[in-house]
Amino acid sequence: MRRACADSQGNRVHLRLTYVYRNLTRNPRRTALTCAAVGLPITIFVLSTAVIDGIGGFLNNSAKQLRLVVTNHSSVVNPLPWGYRSKIESLDRTGTRISSVCGMRWIGGQVENDPRPLSTLAVDVDTFVPTFPDQQLTPEEIQQWNRNRQAILIGSATAAAFGWKSGDRINIRSSIPPYVLLEFHVISTAARPGKDPVTNFCRLDYLEESMKSAISPEGWNPTGWVSFFFVRCATKADLDYFRGAIDEFFTRSPDQTKTQDEKAFMNEFITQFFDMPRNLSRLAAVTIIVAVIAATNTMSMNLRDRLSEVAILKSMGYHAPVIFGFIQVESLVLCLLGGVIGAAIPFICFGYTPLKDVRVPLIQHLEIPLAACVKAQFMAIVIGVLAAAWPAWSASRTRVVLALRKLE
Amino acid sequence: MRLPLYYNWRSLLRQKLNSLLTFVVVAIVVFVLSVLLSFAAGIRASLAATGSPRNLLVLKPGATAESTSLILPEESARLVQCPNLARDPQGRPLISQELCVQTSIPRRAPDTSSANVAIRGIDDVALVVHSEVRIVEGRMFQPGALEIIAGRSARDRYADLQVGGDILLGRSGNRRFRVVGVFEAAGGGLENEIWVPRTILEDVYGRRFVSSAVLRLEQPDRADEAIEYIKGSAVRLDARREPDYYSDLSTRVREIVLLASILVGVMAFGAVFAVANTMYAAVDGRRREIAMLRTIGFGRFAIVLAFMVESFLMCTLACGAGLVAGLFVNRPRQDFLSDITWTALAYEPKFTVGTLLSALGLSLIVGMVGGAAPAIKAARTGIIEALRKA
Repeated sequence: MRRACADSQGNRVHLRLTYVYRNLTRNPRRTALTCAAVGLPITIFVLSTAVIDGIGGFLNNSAKQLRLVVTNHSSVVNPLPWGYRSKIESLDRTGTRISSVCGMRWIGGQVENDPRPLSTLAVDVDTFVPTFPDQQLTPEEIQQWNRNRQAILIGSATAAAFGWKSGDRINIRSSIPPYVLLEFHVISTAARPGKDPVTNFCRLDYLEESMKSAISPEGWNPTGWVSFFFVRCATKADLDYFRGAIDEFFTRSPDQTKTQDEKAFMNEFITQFFDMPRNLSRLAAVTIIVAVIAATNTMSMNLRDRLSEVAILKSMGYHAPVIFGFIQVESLVLCLLGGVIGAAIPFICFGYTPLKDVRVPLIQHLEIPLAACVKAQFMAIVIGVLAAAWPAWSASRTRVVLALRKLE
Repeated sequence: MRLPLYYNWRSLLRQKLNSLLTFVVVAIVVFVLSVLLSFAAGIRASLAATGSPRNLLVLKPGATAESTSLILPEESARLVQCPNLARDPQGRPLISQELCVQTSIPRRAPDTSSANVAIRGIDDVALVVHSEVRIVEGRMFQPGALEIIAGRSARDRYADLQVGGDILLGRSGNRRFRVVGVFEAAGGGLENEIWVPRTILEDVYGRRFVSSAVLRLEQPDRADEAIEYIKGSAVRLDARREPDYYSDLSTRVREIVLLASILVGVMAFGAVFAVANTMYAAVDGRRREIAMLRTIGFGRFAIVLAFMVESFLMCTLACGAGLVAGLFVNRPRQDFLSDITWTALAYEPKFTVGTLLSALGLSLIVGMVGGAAPAIKAARTGIIEALRKA
């Protein structure tokens, strides 16, 4: 008896799924067009999410590093005296709360006769490695970094753009006075997870030496200045403490400081570039609305074409919830199909075709994470449910007699 | 023989819901495009309006922007011998020596985050060299006084820059300056700046040099001669036409607009499918009607034309709605950080004829591509078969 009951239920499910399948294949052109109309917005959603996640990942990595950034209070462009480093270090009397302090000077840079600007930072040689473990330098690279004062670490995207590789000797003219021409030895161009692919790092001691040898103008000593300090703290509590303590210490000095978390510092720059994360989120939301409308359009067309069929189903004894379910499942399958295609296009294009080398503003290399594709499938389900809500509700409330009369 | 336009209009209204939903999809795509293009046009207009073709901007060789350029007094002194240099009625050369620094100023509410704003130290001659600049409110600062004038964009975008406001400047950020005037610069990038007496700025920032020199030329078509002289052994500085310098600042803008345009293009492609879907449904639902039209003498071309006009009509109306919606958003002044000058460039989104034509073009393309295949299908409808089904 129980087995007969189970068989009957199985048959019923099979029958219903067959009905949904037949409906989807009844008008293949409409199904294909709807999949495309849902799939393309999903493609934009995946691309936007990938960029937002890329920026978010970069910021989250910054937050994890327990680093503070100390800049000039009046403007990030105005430098700070290099001597501040020892003063910041002296704030930790125990010697355990501040792990390291690394001074950095922005020098920009350009290759002769090439208008493309570089993003190069000259850094304190002794504290760079402990302050930035996320650079993931190999022991061999660290050895070369410490031994060779002309060493330079090139961002992977920059290396690809300029055709540089480890072992190359390159010349970069700094973009700050006195604009010295610097000869470097490339020791790394490796791409590593979480590592900035654009910025290059060279040694501050080499820059200072080169600057001293150039003629410096009267009243302006180009050496002894840094753009900012990165302070790596031992714990989150230390980070919170020194955020206030450093600024307080320099309150009465000629160059007051502004100390903030690395994440906040980076975020300030990112939001000033057209607030890309927020604007891309808006674009993603708009595309989802477009997809919902396109799918609703199809489902309402399907309902109009099959109104009589719905009436017949109801007259055969199918209840309103079942009719509702038929239309919802059909919409879900349609949108999921569009979602899979829409997510697969960018995943394949930016992962396995020449498009993977395309440079995107801010994050440079666009990587489509699987998580973005999964998120897109979730959105496809939401689109499917929303798109079918009104047609399914209308169908479930269809009056049998009126619908059959229309058939006549 | 052609079907009247009224027929197309009534046909669209027959499937109200489907037409409306497709209309909304196309309108959203046009809306996004128009907002994007308005922003790009605003930035381009701001940078394009900056600088006069009669002016040369002189920087130190190797410097990528005024903010990183350093010209010594003896170097700028050599510029007076430059050929083709314009002079004022008293015979003084029109060379404006300028010092550029930056300061962090909070934006006006509701976004109170800080932006890096350019401060330019100038002498009286700057108002002659930058002939597009004129004081529109208040007065010019007094040389030697702690007074400033603010660009119109800067006044609108950043806090405390209205006439009578005070801001703190200087290496230690402890010298209080009073805003005494507001200037316009033909909508150009200079309106993002704050102008200060050069000698005072040198003093409060401890600088003994200038960042750039702007030369007014007698004959702009002989600019190459002057550039060659400045780059040559007599001066050894770098010179370029002022508009060229500001045009280079929009490189990053072009990249971002390109990226956004690709995304809008993909959205438009999706809209094509939505239109095609609706038009196919219209054809399927009117097979009998099409057959009847063919029977009473309307040719295949008239049928194709009718469906194409329907598609165009829907997309053009949606274009209008999208453009109107685009006009009502993001009107306030915005700014972005130039990664060359490291200063904020404020701009106002501009709705241009180019935006209008681009949006119209996009909607017509969407209408044409989305409507073509269904229209051809409609024209191929077999008369006998369709009438028999009826």
